[in-house]
Amino acid sequence: MPSFILFAFKRFLQLAAVIFAGTSLAFVVAKLSPISPVETIIGRVTNRASMSPTAIQSLRETYTELFGLDIPLWQQYLNFWGRLFTGDFGPSLVAYPTPAIDLILLALPWTVGLLTVAVILTWIIGNLLGGLAGYYQNSRLLKAVGVVAIGIQPIPYYIVAFLMVIIFGYLWPVLPISGGFAMNVRPGFTPQFVLSILHHAILPASSLVLVGMGTWFFGMRALVSNIVTEDYVTYAELAGVEQRKIVSSYVMRNAIVPQLTALAMALGGIFSGTIITEQVFAYPGLGTLLIRAVNGGDTTLVLAVSCISVIAVATAIFIVDLLHPFLDPRVRVG
Amino acid sequence: MSTLLEVSNVSMRFVMGGLFSRNHIDAVVDANFTLSAENPEIFTIIGESGSGKTTLARMILGLEKPTAGDILFEGKSAAERNTRAARLAFMRRVQPVFQNPFETFNPLKQVDRYLEATARSLLGARSKADVDAAMDDALQKVGLSLKEIAGRYAHELSGGQLQRVAIARALIPNPALLIADEPVSMVDASLRMSIVNLLKELRDTLKVSVIYITHDLATAYYISDRIIIMQKGHVVEMGPARTVLDTPEHPYSQLLKSSVLSIDAAGMGDLRPADRAMAEAAWSRAGQGALVARDDGRMVRTA
Repeated sequence: MPSFILFAFKRFLQLAAVIFAGTSLAFVVAKLSPISPVETIIGRVTNRASMSPTAIQSLRETYTELFGLDIPLWQQYLNFWGRLFTGDFGPSLVAYPTPAIDLILLALPWTVGLLTVAVILTWIIGNLLGGLAGYYQNSRLLKAVGVVAIGIQPIPYYIVAFLMVIIFGYLWPVLPISGGFAMNVRPGFTPQFVLSILHHAILPASSLVLVGMGTWFFGMRALVSNIVTEDYVTYAELAGVEQRKIVSSYVMRNAIVPQLTALAMALGGIFSGTIITEQVFAYPGLGTLLIRAVNGGDTTLVLAVSCISVIAVATAIFIVDLLHPFLDPRVRVG
Repeated sequence: MSTLLEVSNVSMRFVMGGLFSRNHIDAVVDANFTLSAENPEIFTIIGESGSGKTTLARMILGLEKPTAGDILFEGKSAAERNTRAARLAFMRRVQPVFQNPFETFNPLKQVDRYLEATARSLLGARSKADVDAAMDDALQKVGLSLKEIAGRYAHELSGGQLQRVAIARALIPNPALLIADEPVSMVDASLRMSIVNLLKELRDTLKVSVIYITHDLATAYYISDRIIIMQKGHVVEMGPARTVLDTPEHPYSQLLKSSVLSIDAAGMGDLRPADRAMAEAAWSRAGQGALVARDDGRMVRTA
């Protein structure tokens, strides 16, 4: 279908424009940071040994030149784009000369692993319960779920997370409360290591599920309770379609389209990391990395993390747009 | 003579509001009529919006439970159809056509999936060939064919086509009674007559009884055998369609008839609301009196 290819091409141009604008904005914001990476390093060096002011001055000049900060901003911007096309974000300034991308690749699996599982679990549980609550509006059990969800929803995430740390780490210490894996396990493809990762992920993941579920639950319940009153559901009932099939393929199927769009966007958001989760549970990941980079004035690293999240979110939306005509036959391509 | 449908003393009251401000609406009050199994007819329920027509239809379909009275279809009430098998057996005999063809079909499903579901669950067709044959057969009855509509979504068909598909779907299990709730009010004026003629044909050739719910006097006049006129939940006049509509006796029936727009009058710039005295007579008598039988076969509510 050539019209679909044309549509995909147009959307791809849009995607490129969004990534260009987003990355440029990230560049400006990173450069606006009042923390200078050079001063951070000098501070670290002079902490250990006293140096003469001239030595400090020459150190400052050397680092400024080394980091490429002595040239005008527009040239830095052009250099940045030149490098980006080769997939190179440049060296991290605080951990010089380790490439920023290496630091990111080290942190990424933790964040992506934890958040993918958490986001998908949240989505499935929230939508399933919400959909059932919308269809079986008189069920006591599902009403109770609604009450619990509406009770947790307004509590700030960090409070829920800390409460879980207190409950499962202190009052009833059954789960590890910090780190990505146990200290005494050697990283590698061993069953102990995998089990240790899963064990450590239970608390952060379930805190995310608990807090995130409500949004999906209420959204889906509202969508479904609108749809059950539609004529075509009554009509399916009178056509003798089984109730189980009505719930799954007439009610949930129609309600799920907007929820799928939102899921794709949530999945794109994974690459931004979750700063609060990673801080509360001392979990290694992009959020922790980003905080370290911001505090150290490491503009390259901040820029690299932001670029990756801009690209991920924009690409996720792009993919959803391409899939939409297949989910909803009414969407005209073109 | 056996009865197909017996509606006796049926009332429906909706309670609205909460603990302190309780309000109720009498959607249907004390409705009585019977349809015979041997003489298929088009039985029209006419009245303005909110007069209880649709509520009555929903009660006959078993979607609402009447507050009082009994609705017996082939001698059984909705409460007696408490197993899935019994409900399926009922749906095989009674089928609906709804008002808005665009809402009747799931926008994300091909319309023939409804036909297929009906053929499988109500007709018991198993093989693909049987299902297709049943679908095509029903579509032929309404002047369509399976080829035309297979794989099409609701937004790809016109309102008239969709309404025909809806009727075709209702015909698949060979029902004895079709409940058509304002089947032409959302359809283009030019296609309206084709649907109305179709209902007439169903009665004459397939011997299907039709409960035709409408607020359109002209089509009611054209196809009805018997008619009941409803006002605010009350039946105000019922009887043979010609008798009632030629010389309406209840003030509300007269008001309805005089409110029909005449194209000639409109062309001459002469459209006026109904006579004020007539309208007041109709409204002041709403819900009063009791039904009294007349010699010409009609029943009229008189004070």
